Amino acid sequence: MAKYFDIDDILIEEEYVPVVFHKAANGVTIDPSAETNCVEQGSKVEVPFWLAQELHSRQAVSINLPACFNQKTRLEVQADAACVDLRSRCPYFYEFGCKLEPLVTDRTLGILLSTAFKIRYKETLTKVYTAAHITASKYLSFLTKEETNLYEAAHLSMAAFKKWRTGGPRFQRASILGRKRKDSSN
Amino acid sequence: MAGQTDPHISLFSPQEIEFMAEDELVEILPNMKMDPLNFISGDFGRFVPMMATKVPLWLAVALKRRGKCTFRPPSWLSVDNLTQILEAERESPSTFQALPFSYVEIARLLFDHARDDIPDMYMVRSLVEDIRDVRLHKLETNLGSFQGTSAVKISNVSAMEVNLVRPFVRRALEAFYKHDKPEADVDRDARSSSRQPREANNEPRRPLRQR
Amino acid sequence: MASNSDLGSEEFETFSSTSDVELLKRAWRNEKAAPEILQYEGALVERAKGQIELVEANIEDYVEDGTDPLIVSLYQMDLDRTQFLLRSYLRVRLLKIEKFMFHNLKSEEAESRLSEQEKVFAKRCADDLAKHFEESVLLKLPENYQSVLKQSLISETDDMVPEPHLDTFVVCKSNDFVSLNLYEEGESPETVEMERGDLYFIRYKIVKGAIESGKIDLI
Repeated sequence: MAKYFDIDDILIEEEYVPVVFHKAANGVTIDPSAETNCVEQGSKVEVPFWLAQELHSRQAVSINLPACFNQKTRLEVQADAACVDLRSRCPYFYEFGCKLEPLVTDRTLGILLSTAFKIRYKETLTKVYTAAHITASKYLSFLTKEETNLYEAAHLSMAAFKKWRTGGPRFQRASILGRKRKDSSN
Repeated sequence: MAGQTDPHISLFSPQEIEFMAEDELVEILPNMKMDPLNFISGDFGRFVPMMATKVPLWLAVALKRRGKCTFRPPSWLSVDNLTQILEAERESPSTFQALPFSYVEIARLLFDHARDDIPDMYMVRSLVEDIRDVRLHKLETNLGSFQGTSAVKISNVSAMEVNLVRPFVRRALEAFYKHDKPEADVDRDARSSSRQPREANNEPRRPLRQR
Repeated sequence: MASNSDLGSEEFETFSSTSDVELLKRAWRNEKAAPEILQYEGALVERAKGQIELVEANIEDYVEDGTDPLIVSLYQMDLDRTQFLLRSYLRVRLLKIEKFMFHNLKSEEAESRLSEQEKVFAKRCADDLAKHFEESVLLKLPENYQSVLKQSLISETDDMVPEPHLDTFVVCKSNDFVSLNLYEEGESPETVEMERGDLYFIRYKIVKGAIESGKIDLI
């Protein structure tokens, strides 16, 4: 419930996943290109995650891994995780992966997620402290939503610190403040 | 007063960190006579010319700004000590030397307000800056080796340093924790409890959004 | 002066009695750093208010007596600092109450941490917001979907209420030797032992209890 109104969490569940129907389903048009309004047993269809999750819980479908977690991505992550453009594959790579993990048979997904994150977050950190904002922009375009948040958080914190370090002393303002209390005391 | 933090993130602004450091005690030499001050934050003084006394930094700065005292810089803020610390910081790639928890803020306040009371002020300032930079760099590389875990010890890291890396480290550790422990259990419970046989009517079969 | 004595006045705190300003600062820091609302420090706030009023009255007297303006300004600065802590403490709490309005009212534990005035504030906020939602949207929806707290009539729990994220990480410093259990039920037991003064990045849930008992402070 904590995330009920979380827009990112809602968008993650809009991501499409491939499913295989175990049962035939009548009166539904899940696949717009289909000629009839029924889905036959064994059909392979792509549906949004929220629907896949629901169908899976009723044992109506089994869920396969979406393309963003395919063998090609895995090989690239193994080769040089920091340079892979994960955003174009899925802006919610990690969170989407975490949601899929319990529903798919592939047990290696969790390892893929944590390896990729651990290597890439070091690179993100280095970019924050060393590269200028502009030179980092190409790298930033590869980052997932969460990685971008991470970068922004560190960047803002560093900027606030630099501003404090080079800014004037805070002291001058102090004596003005006491006067205001009477206005705000109720 | 101290800049209020962005209400949406629970962390401290550098000004708030500085505000806390201003309560650290420093030694001053007053050049006037004054009765003890009985503050809400404690009793200080009395003040006698050339008799050293300990007061909070904010009070020391206020007196200094009015020409009423000189500072006695803390002993750690000397060229000898700082040179040693800088060497030690450079030699050990993963540990931090013991410095006052508020060393960054204390040093800055003294450099801003009491430069004439610090022997070898320019040397001292550049040493403090070097130490801070070496430490920040180390902190950064050490963060790179954090593993997914629920507790990470950060010995001898100072208030400003912790605050600087906090937004990043918090998110990174949250992600580690989440990846190591997918939502499996939670979600399965939520699902089974919401899926009970229902009579056929126009009631929704289950909540629109799980969680 | 021995160089050790410079390493922080905290070392001496245990020997001298801790002032209300120190306690207020601790309450403020903990409140700002914790993801959820903490127990209201009612007695402390009352004492701080009392002292602020006293000093305000004293300052007025000083001005009338023609006391040295330097001394008056120093008392004023001390007053400003205490007022800042008190205001900021109360404001952080209001922010959290607004953020988790419905949660704070429906969870008995959370509600018990609010002061009487904060309860009134939370209640009024929640009522106003609920009324606004109902008038602008909810009452125009089918009957099953008119709740502010539940997605629909069949929801067994209040499944639309945002809650504080307790699995977040905080920075803490221990005031004492503490041994904490790192894992939750069903996992292999593992503990972390903190010496006095140790600094940690740690998951909030682990230190929640130790913060309440004052063994650990957030920074």
